[in-house]
Amino acid sequence: MGKKVLVVDDDPDVRLFNVTVLEENGYTALVATNGEEGKIMAKQEKPDLVILDVLMPRESGIRLYRELKTDKNLKHVPIIMLSGIAEKSFLRSQKVLAEFGDTPVPEPEAYLEKPVDAEELAATIKKIIG
Amino acid sequence: MKIKKLLFVTKFEELGFDALQALLILRQAGLEHVVFVNIIERERVAMRRGTGYSKEAEIRLRETANIRFIDWAENLFEQGMEVGAYIVVGNLVGEVIKAAQKEEADLIVVGRSQKGVIEQLYAGSDITELLHRTAKPILVYKYLTESSFALEKPFETPVLATDWSPASLRAVDFLKELNGIINKIHVVHVADQKKLSGSAMAIQKTRKEIRGRLDEICHIFETEGISASPHVYVGSPDQEIEKAARDCQATLIVMGSSGKANWVERWLGSTPRNIAEKSDYPTLLIPPKQL
Repeated sequence: MGKKVLVVDDDPDVRLFNVTVLEENGYTALVATNGEEGKIMAKQEKPDLVILDVLMPRESGIRLYRELKTDKNLKHVPIIMLSGIAEKSFLRSQKVLAEFGDTPVPEPEAYLEKPVDAEELAATIKKIIG
Repeated sequence: MKIKKLLFVTKFEELGFDALQALLILRQAGLEHVVFVNIIERERVAMRRGTGYSKEAEIRLRETANIRFIDWAENLFEQGMEVGAYIVVGNLVGEVIKAAQKEEADLIVVGRSQKGVIEQLYAGSDITELLHRTAKPILVYKYLTESSFALEKPFETPVLATDWSPASLRAVDFLKELNGIINKIHVVHVADQKKLSGSAMAIQKTRKEIRGRLDEICHIFETEGISASPHVYVGSPDQEIEKAARDCQATLIVMGSSGKANWVERWLGSTPRNIAEKSDYPTLLIPPKQL
């Protein structure tokens, strides 16, 4: 069984694309459709990598990212942010939340702005978890 | 009844980001999370003939909405807010209700209904239908192109029109939570002219009784640190509430919504529906707790 990668995205087309790339490259794909579901699955499955969207129902990737990076059991799980939201906005939001008193969090292992091609995604995953 | 999460339902042409920015004043009263909702109504993606629908049209509409929402979300994320989005094909009211339930939203914000008079009569107004299907407060936001009062602070000077109904009293609870952002609240009751009969003394007695009940509501607000004043008007509620809003230089009309059946409202009308759809003022409608 390949390394486990959790895909958290509300867009079914993006989920299908990510799962196809993962399976074609020998990884085991897990999927969640929003941040809340993603949090539960990350805790249950302890994946080797998370591919995370930002703008989603129920709970955004901004909040889930903070929760994962401040969870003692999950903070070492690498995260690829894959979103239409600009990296600059993501980093600024994390900075603002830290200024409001939340724990500062490190930058993600990679930030890819949608759309991304299959080769670029596969290469990024491989670079991070092999 | 704190507003922590609001659902911002937009078709873009009637409700834009400037309206949302004005609502961010609610952050001072606890707002943390904004959820954008764009419903692509089925007829917009329907084929001209046959039974299918145009996937291409759906993709175009979805992506157009997505581009706007990404832009808005970046702005809100950078302010430290939590943001979500739904872009769904379906029936407007049904999908809004579903999103409001899934998100456990505290307030639904919609634009003024775009349906024509005949269409509203037969199909009903979206606002009326929403009010009948949810117990969540609904803010009907409007652009005030010809009026001069400040749109940027919609909660600054509300007029609360009360008829002592359970929904009206629920509106009091709702407004109490906004004590950081309301400057002054005007509590209004419109007395029915037909009930003011008899001697001048009897009419004055009625006015005094109404005034006493309004004073009780004002006292509730003042206990919460909100300045409040009572006003009695006489005549048609639709016209007098609008008049009161002008007299008080209000920024918003707040009302409990009626518990009348949907078909009754469609044919006979109701004050909350008429104010929501015809008044120049943004209107906050609070349905009864139990539907």
